[in-house]
Amino acid sequence: MGKIVAIHSYKGGTGKTLLSVNLSTLYANRGKSVALLDLDFRAPSLQAILKVQNSEYWINDYLNGVCDIKKALVDLSQTHSKRGRLLAGLANPGTEAIREMTAKDRKWEMKALGRLLSLKASLLGEMGLDYVVLDTSPGLQYSSINAIVSADIVLVVCGMDISDMKGTQRMIEELYELFEKKTGLVMNKVFADILGSKDQRADLANKLLNSSNLPMIEMIPCFCDILKSGGVTIFVNENPEHPFVKTLDRMATTIEKL
Amino acid sequence: MSLPRRVDPISTTLLQKIKECLDSLNEKMEVMIEIQKHEQHTIPDGIPDVLDVMTLLSLPDHLRKTAVTLCKLDHATADEVAGQTKRARAVESGYLNQLVLMGYVKKERRGRKAYFYVEREENQNEMKESWEK
Repeated sequence: MGKIVAIHSYKGGTGKTLLSVNLSTLYANRGKSVALLDLDFRAPSLQAILKVQNSEYWINDYLNGVCDIKKALVDLSQTHSKRGRLLAGLANPGTEAIREMTAKDRKWEMKALGRLLSLKASLLGEMGLDYVVLDTSPGLQYSSINAIVSADIVLVVCGMDISDMKGTQRMIEELYELFEKKTGLVMNKVFADILGSKDQRADLANKLLNSSNLPMIEMIPCFCDILKSGGVTIFVNENPEHPFVKTLDRMATTIEKL
Repeated sequence: MSLPRRVDPISTTLLQKIKECLDSLNEKMEVMIEIQKHEQHTIPDGIPDVLDVMTLLSLPDHLRKTAVTLCKLDHATADEVAGQTKRARAVESGYLNQLVLMGYVKKERRGRKAYFYVEREENQNEMKESWEK
């Protein structure tokens, strides 16, 4: 059976969506069947990044019990994948939908958890997908914790900001470990001079990992051209020789083995 | 040299019955301990609480593992939960009954088997209505 991978972080702006989109595309280009789901209902972004004009149903509708998961998926295999199947479940970016999703009560969140847990049977079981990538909202919010509980693997993306590192350490102890999740860390936007020195790399990893024995999956350098692209470019397709793609390729292989 | 003592079949049956009674007693005591702990922060008016992720986080480790497993399995017997958690059936039965008493989990009997589940989908129409509004 395939795997559900949740991409999470303590703070916003760490590069979760960039990694989710490129990782999903990379797996699809390897011939895998992949579904990428936007679970960041407060700041939906996949519709803009994947340039999907319209979606009849959203992931919001699936969680609201309005449609089944198949109806909430858009097939992007023709336009975004070189070999495999790439499906996307988009979060509704309308202001009213965002407002509505932030006002949900605990009972609704419990039902939403049930629906997310059932994705294992529907997407990995019935549809036979190899990967479901969940792009989550940052921090300790219902939607992100629901995603973590539903996932097989959690990738935690952390920047070099000290508050981000401290927050990530707290989440390791108070969230991922409590749910006994298979968790890997990814440091993003790391300065090139740090990556150039073995000692500095080890220092940085120790600083983040503290006493935890979680694996450091990858340290991704800070690339100015990625920042300049403004989220418009899917690097895996448009610039496959870019060092970011090479790093991501290595990361994808590590995740496969987790 | 003394020969090993032969246990007669009546004694074996009796011992088996005693073991079952002790297991059952143990389960009941676990439930009573949990009720006593829970009485200190009882939910007002007996309204059952909701087993959402924040509740899962607040549960003690042993109950969280059982609750998360049940959420994944949807409907399950103590035996099925024990198959996933790799803990003894009697232990899981005790934990599941504690969750029932805490109001997070429902229990129903089908023949001789007791099934546990988290009540979620009964208000499917209610969800649709709220969405349509």
